[in-house]
Amino acid sequence: MKMEEMPLSSPDNTKLEALMHDIYSELVEDACLGLCFEVHRAVKQGYFFLGEPDQESMKEFEIVDQPGVDIFGQVFNQWKNKECECPNCNRLIAASRFAPHLEKCLGMGRNSSRIASRRLARNNMSKSESDQEDNDDLNDNDWSYGAEKKAKKRRSDKNQNSPRRSKSLKPKNGEIGSSINSESHKYNHNTGISYESLGPEEVRSLLTMRCGVISEHTKKMCTRSQRCPQHTDEQRRAVRVFLLGPSAPALHSAELESHSFDIPDGQMSRLQWVESPNVSPSDSASSKASTNHPDSRRPKKKKTLSLNSGGGSGGLTEGSGSSAQSSLSLSSRKKKPKLSAAFISSIYDDLN
Amino acid sequence: MNKEARLKATINQKLTETGERERLKELLRAKLTECGWKDQMKAQCKEVIKEKGLEHVTVEDLVVEITPKGRALVPDSVKKELLQRIRAFLTQHAS
Repeated sequence: MKMEEMPLSSPDNTKLEALMHDIYSELVEDACLGLCFEVHRAVKQGYFFLGEPDQESMKEFEIVDQPGVDIFGQVFNQWKNKECECPNCNRLIAASRFAPHLEKCLGMGRNSSRIASRRLARNNMSKSESDQEDNDDLNDNDWSYGAEKKAKKRRSDKNQNSPRRSKSLKPKNGEIGSSINSESHKYNHNTGISYESLGPEEVRSLLTMRCGVISEHTKKMCTRSQRCPQHTDEQRRAVRVFLLGPSAPALHSAELESHSFDIPDGQMSRLQWVESPNVSPSDSASSKASTNHPDSRRPKKKKTLSLNSGGGSGGLTEGSGSSAQSSLSLSSRKKKPKLSAAFISSIYDDLN
Repeated sequence: MNKEARLKATINQKLTETGERERLKELLRAKLTECGWKDQMKAQCKEVIKEKGLEHVTVEDLVVEITPKGRALVPDSVKKELLQRIRAFLTQHAS
């Protein structure tokens, strides 16, 4: 092939052409030398032949072309007809069914309801109504805000069956398994407690230990601790009045605490309460004047409860004034059970 | 003759100064790898190595064997393109 050349009009051009070729040759030679050095170094360092397959591996990984065998030489369904002995139940299980069988057998798979069947079995044998508190502890883990309750409903159902749940119970009490049974029969899996199914003693014991506020949505009692941030002390008080009657005895923890609060102090404490920065999430978001100050206010709350019950409601409500009203009304709007409406209306009556 | 020598020297100098030489080198390497020339030459090197023995092959062995073959095996398209670029440079810079 002929190269395209400019017309040789002057000797300069030939010189230029020659020069051009010189430069070109130089460049090509440079490239060749570069390659030689590269190869030589690779040879001396030992990585020159690394990119290529060696004879040994070629033979080892050759494609297998026999009938009944795949290209790697493996037999399809080799273990299909083998049987394995289950370490748990000592039965002979087909190999392909072994894994699902173990799941059910050990009760540890995602879909195994072994705990459920175990529970049912135990329940048939014995029934016990004790240890509700322990159950409530469990419920504590699962309880969630009302808004998320529906979303988490299924999850709490699932958690009931998980082995972790039952394992955590075992060190607590030997009867946990049975008490779960009883609880599951009495109470819903939604980890709330329906007050209708409880006897008076149970109600009392529950209320001394737990928050107990009855949710509007589900009519279930809150099983969180006395200081649960989702309910105000007002709500707790209202529930106790509702469930135990207006002459409800003061709760145990109140008696243990200091008794230095008089009626005027009770009012003052109410006011202080109101100004506390703690906001219960169950109240409206804007309201900072919530009457929810769990720890130190408890004794005062109990005192005021007894005051209220003792007929000192007039003085109490005067002291509380508008702020209590507003917080009460706010909370009544949001999550208070219907029963407390009667309570509030009694306050208004007293005020008027 | 002196003129030629001087011209050559000047051009070389200009090539280096402007960085054109480096650019041309890189261009050539890329083109040669692209068109498979490099792999061809590596195969040739393997032959030489097998001939001389892996332990005792020297740079000289390779150079002596490879360079003439390398020069010959450069494809025409690559050669043309390079010559074009050099010519363009020369016409630009040769007074």
